[in-house]
Amino acid sequence: MIEFRHMQKAFGTSVVLKDINATVNEGDSIAVIGPSGTGKSTLLRCLTYLDPPTGGQIFVDGEDITAPGCNIYKVRQKMGMVFQSYNLFGHMTVIENIMYAPVKLLGMSRQDAYDRGVELLKKVGLADRTLKYPEALSGGQKQRVAIARTLAMDPEIILFDEPTSALDPTMTGEVEAVIEDLARAGKTMMIVTHEMNLAKRVANRVFYMDEGIIYEDGPADQIFNDPQREKTSRFVRKLKVLEFNIDSHGFDFVGASTEIDRYCFKNHIPLKTSNKIRSVIEELCVQILLPVVKDPGINVCVEYSEEEEYTIITVKYPDRFRPEDSGDSGEDLSYRLLKANTESIDYSYDEAEGSTIVMKLR
Amino acid sequence: MRKRNKLKIHSGLAITLAILMSFIGISGVFVTAASEDGGTRVPVYKNLEELSGKRVGVQVGSVFDKIVEEAIPGASVEYYSTFPDEINALKASKLEGVACVESVIIQLQAQDDSIAYIEEPIGAVPLGFLFPKNEKGKKLADQMSEFLTNMRESGEMDRLMAVWNETDESLKPIEDYKSLPAENGTLTFVTEGTFPPFDYFREGELVGYDVDVAIRFCKEYGYGIELKDMNFDALMPAVQSGKCDFAASGIAITEERKEKVYFSEPDYYQDAYVVVLAADRSGGSFISSLKDSFNRTFIKEHRYRLFLKGIWVTLAITVMSIIFGTLLGFILYMWCRKGGKPANAITRFCIWLVQGMPAIVLLMILYYVVFGKADIGGIGVAVIGFTMTFAASVYSMILSGVRAVDFGQTEASYALGFNDTQTFFGIILPQAARHFMPTFKAEIVTLIKATAVVGYIAVQDLTKMGDIVRSSTYEAFFPLIAVAVMYFVLAGLLKLVANKLTASVDPEKRSEEKILKGIKTK
Ligand SMILES: Nc1ncnc2c1ncn2[C@@H]1O[C@H](COP(=O)(O)OP(=O)(O)OP(=O)(O)O)[C@@H](O)[C@H]1O
Ligand SMILES: [Mg+2]
Repeated sequence: MIEFRHMQKAFGTSVVLKDINATVNEGDSIAVIGPSGTGKSTLLRCLTYLDPPTGGQIFVDGEDITAPGCNIYKVRQKMGMVFQSYNLFGHMTVIENIMYAPVKLLGMSRQDAYDRGVELLKKVGLADRTLKYPEALSGGQKQRVAIARTLAMDPEIILFDEPTSALDPTMTGEVEAVIEDLARAGKTMMIVTHEMNLAKRVANRVFYMDEGIIYEDGPADQIFNDPQREKTSRFVRKLKVLEFNIDSHGFDFVGASTEIDRYCFKNHIPLKTSNKIRSVIEELCVQILLPVVKDPGINVCVEYSEEEEYTIITVKYPDRFRPEDSGDSGEDLSYRLLKANTESIDYSYDEAEGSTIVMKLR
Repeated sequence: MRKRNKLKIHSGLAITLAILMSFIGISGVFVTAASEDGGTRVPVYKNLEELSGKRVGVQVGSVFDKIVEEAIPGASVEYYSTFPDEINALKASKLEGVACVESVIIQLQAQDDSIAYIEEPIGAVPLGFLFPKNEKGKKLADQMSEFLTNMRESGEMDRLMAVWNETDESLKPIEDYKSLPAENGTLTFVTEGTFPPFDYFREGELVGYDVDVAIRFCKEYGYGIELKDMNFDALMPAVQSGKCDFAASGIAITEERKEKVYFSEPDYYQDAYVVVLAADRSGGSFISSLKDSFNRTFIKEHRYRLFLKGIWVTLAITVMSIIFGTLLGFILYMWCRKGGKPANAITRFCIWLVQGMPAIVLLMILYYVVFGKADIGGIGVAVIGFTMTFAASVYSMILSGVRAVDFGQTEASYALGFNDTQTFFGIILPQAARHFMPTFKAEIVTLIKATAVVGYIAVQDLTKMGDIVRSSTYEAFFPLIAVAVMYFVLAGLLKLVANKLTASVDPEKRSEEKILKGIKTK
């Protein structure tokens, strides 16, 4: 249905996309992942011609849209685009946002457009918001309206550019559910996302983008569990772990806690466990290690294993210091808390690596 | 919301009125009716020496400054743009004396018994007609000189001056000049109508000694005549640019002026005096003087008609400038949107030019330079000028309004398949309008006030009509208040219309029925 042939995109002298080659087939639900700045958004924008490619060709239903005579407005009608920032038309009500394009561009009657709009709103769970203005909606609601607006044009493919990343974590669910529905119904889609859960839930194929190309293209299972190439594997592994460094005595532990919470939320770690994780890291790093290490350079790594349902926390620091040696009268309170919350604590020291503590907890 | 606006207008009016009224109360400078006997009044200053070190008013562009400096050593000369302003300054103790010619004093004293003059003349002023420095002007000046010499020799000139020195208006008829045969073409005569008895308005018509002479001259030499009123400062430029065929307004003949225009022989020699306050000013009660002022300002000689005419002119200029200016500004914006760098550079330069200039300068340039030879009236030029300034603000408004609309709106519209034009009119403009509408309304009020300068290009708008009335009544406050109130009301009305208009196009103010027009919801 869509084919990229040696597509290239440069902004001035900086070449963002070097050589894109891929075919998107009907029914494909593709998650586009990759580090920031690797041109994922640019790929979608080239496809919709919001940013024209600077080289190569793109074929949509066999038509070369980079050819001079191509009517790009017609081509765009075949593709729906959902933006990170919703971009609902502010001067129209929800229903008008949805009706506007079908009436103006497809010549649909207002009545038909209305009926279809209401139906779509029902589908995204917002049938009672028809006459509201966008500014009166929450972020999640806006994004669902934006999806409905796109669907109203009945596009052959829907392109999502980070549809949930502007949303409050509590609202991503409602939007993800709508996208998942579409995927299940067999809609062709491309989704740029940093949310691995979303990618796993909706994608049957994954593009990993890096180095200005589609670095690895494969079935979702394979990319997430058994990536074939080095960079993909490193990226996917990193998604599964939470890593941060404590590099000063004035470390912002509140910020770190928030990250831990977000990590736990994303990985569906039960609340009880996530409280334990937070407490363990706080006791070990802030109460025990920070006061004694001379040159703080503590590296913390949290990894949750879904299959076995346990979490491994690895803490590394240069000083040679055993956590149980803290306090003056044997075991102090912090260490006892640590022990109570974990299943095992292993300490090791290595001249080159420094100290490593591996804790396992459930 | 609308209610609050109304309230604002009302309270604004009330406050202004209150301020002005208290001002009147404090200064108590109401004119009292002239005493019938007109007997000799005692001036506060008996002779010219007493005025040494005092402030003496002269009119800008007149020769009185030189005369006063010579006749009253030590007096400080202060410049005013109209004679009534000088008299008002005198009564408000901002001046101790005002220089003017004999005939003017006769008229003034008949109107106002608080005025006297020092009986020592300060000099003689030859007053004449001005003609453009071109062939036609030369010919007309020669004809006029011939005519005036004949008049003087036959004694007709003195007889005519005596008529206009009468204080009873019914004794000063003016000929019907509109039906002159005009076999040699029609001449345009300009003057400033705030200078009785030479040039002034009576029942809304320009009359006076100069006007009378001008009409008689045209009749004698087979011309038609068209009369035009213009601010004094604008008379010289009007003659120089050939905007008119001749002018007079008690304009003194000087060597300097002779370099720029042709003068006729003097149409009269007048002695000049210094007007001062009378020592024994009588004062009426506040209420009766208020009633008197009202009468003089509105009722006498149907002066309310002047105000109505002024309102009409001001409103016409403002409304037309708004309509054309909005259109032009919009067209400019659309042109720049498509036109790339050159279009933008040209537009920005023009807007910089228009906005960087005081409106009055722009109007004068248009009137005397750009359209100097073209046959466009003052109102036309005013509309053109204010259309330009309004278009400049509309352009800037749209520009910043469109910038305020998030670019995501454009992208979303493109992504749906709309083209550039559909996107602009359907998505961007309606949202930009919400940003610039408040500025638009404010600009309307600014515009109506800005039109007050059109008197400089021979347009009789509300402000000018106020000046004309003041020149007949020699009082500042009542006509000024009247004018202020009228501006408030006009601005309020325009704002109300603008509010209604914006409300009717504001998408968020639509009713549900309107949004769902033609749709069965179930
Ligand atoms: N309009 C532009 N002008 C110049 N450079 C641009 C423009 N748009 C994008 N870029 C550059 O292109 C590169 C790729 O940007 P892009 O937004 O496609 O990355 P991305 O993979 O979507 O990143 P993220 O995950 O942060 O959204 C970036 O380095 C960016 O700076
Ligand atoms: Mg992006």
